[in-house]
Amino acid sequence: MSEPTALAEKLATLASKETLDDTGARIISEAGTPAPIAAILREVDDTVLERCLTFSFGDTTINIIAAGRRLRGILSVIPQSDADIIGHVLSREEPEGVQAAFDLLNDMCGDADHLTVRAMPPEPFGKGGERGISAHGLTELWGVAADAEPKPPMEQFLGMNAAAISSVLHVRKGEIVSKAGDFKALQTIWTSQVDAFREAHKKTLRGEEGAQLVCLESAFDDGSSAAMALYEDEVVLVAYQAEGFGHMQSSWQRIFS
Amino acid sequence: MVIDELDALRDKYEGCAALAFADLSTKMILVTDSGSNLRREALDALCAEAALLLGANGKPALADKPGDLASVASIAQLRVFLRAQSEPNDVLCCICGPKMDADAFVADACACLDRISSG
Repeated sequence: MSEPTALAEKLATLASKETLDDTGARIISEAGTPAPIAAILREVDDTVLERCLTFSFGDTTINIIAAGRRLRGILSVIPQSDADIIGHVLSREEPEGVQAAFDLLNDMCGDADHLTVRAMPPEPFGKGGERGISAHGLTELWGVAADAEPKPPMEQFLGMNAAAISSVLHVRKGEIVSKAGDFKALQTIWTSQVDAFREAHKKTLRGEEGAQLVCLESAFDDGSSAAMALYEDEVVLVAYQAEGFGHMQSSWQRIFS
Repeated sequence: MVIDELDALRDKYEGCAALAFADLSTKMILVTDSGSNLRREALDALCAEAALLLGANGKPALADKPGDLASVASIAQLRVFLRAQSEPNDVLCCICGPKMDADAFVADACACLDRISSG
């Protein structure tokens, strides 16, 4: 991996505004951004002193041993698995084991929508001379695409709230750039209500500027709620389920504050 | 006392900066929590925002119909506007910091407003 690429990845990591969740664990992947396996390898690459890295989402926990920017191996997983690779040090000389480690990680967290990590003290693992495989080496061996750039803020916001959103209309510089779900009602709002609303709302804002998320519960006749997100020259209109309100607010603050 | 209800809600949430009970029919703030030091202009703007978002004249701000909960999140604030179930012109305007547990706050704010409105 070239130095500029490595530097770009580091900058992307810094720009991604990782935050802590309610348990104090650090969020490293949300809504598949970055891909969970890429996020795990990024953590390994950031680990110099030997540590047990505990990755969690939902009821799944994966404990791995990392040191010297290398993945030594998988210490344990919950729910328990009988995979032979657990407890064994990875080696390039054993490609089946390398593939088995990828398969296990991918099966357990490949589609995680909210992956966190904690760095814990190391636990005894393998022999002293068995160093494992570097994160960069595994990136190539596993064919993992490292995300050099985080998704744009609006895409992050939509991805993080996809479960609650039923339709989307995304406008940039006045042009519709994407739409999904039953978007016709949103298109009507865009063409007949947004300008008047923004003008009226601006009068109440007393100079407040910047990104803004307006939520209106049960604003549609079918009971769903409406939200309008504003950021620079982008306007996103969504219909969403009211149960997603709190998550929508917290994700908005994580991305835009 | 309305002000006691507002103070109790504000005391419960560290990120809550100001609470105001308003009447949408007159578009006036009737009372604020005792710690609020918002100027008259700010209170008027807050009430105007509530009237716009909750559709004081029956006209929805966006979409099909006015609702009972509206919010505006900016970089610096989360403002929440709630309409009482029993009296549609009774509204609670809330100014909070950005790092608020929105679900928990809204649940408590709804209960607070219902007590005020039905009291």
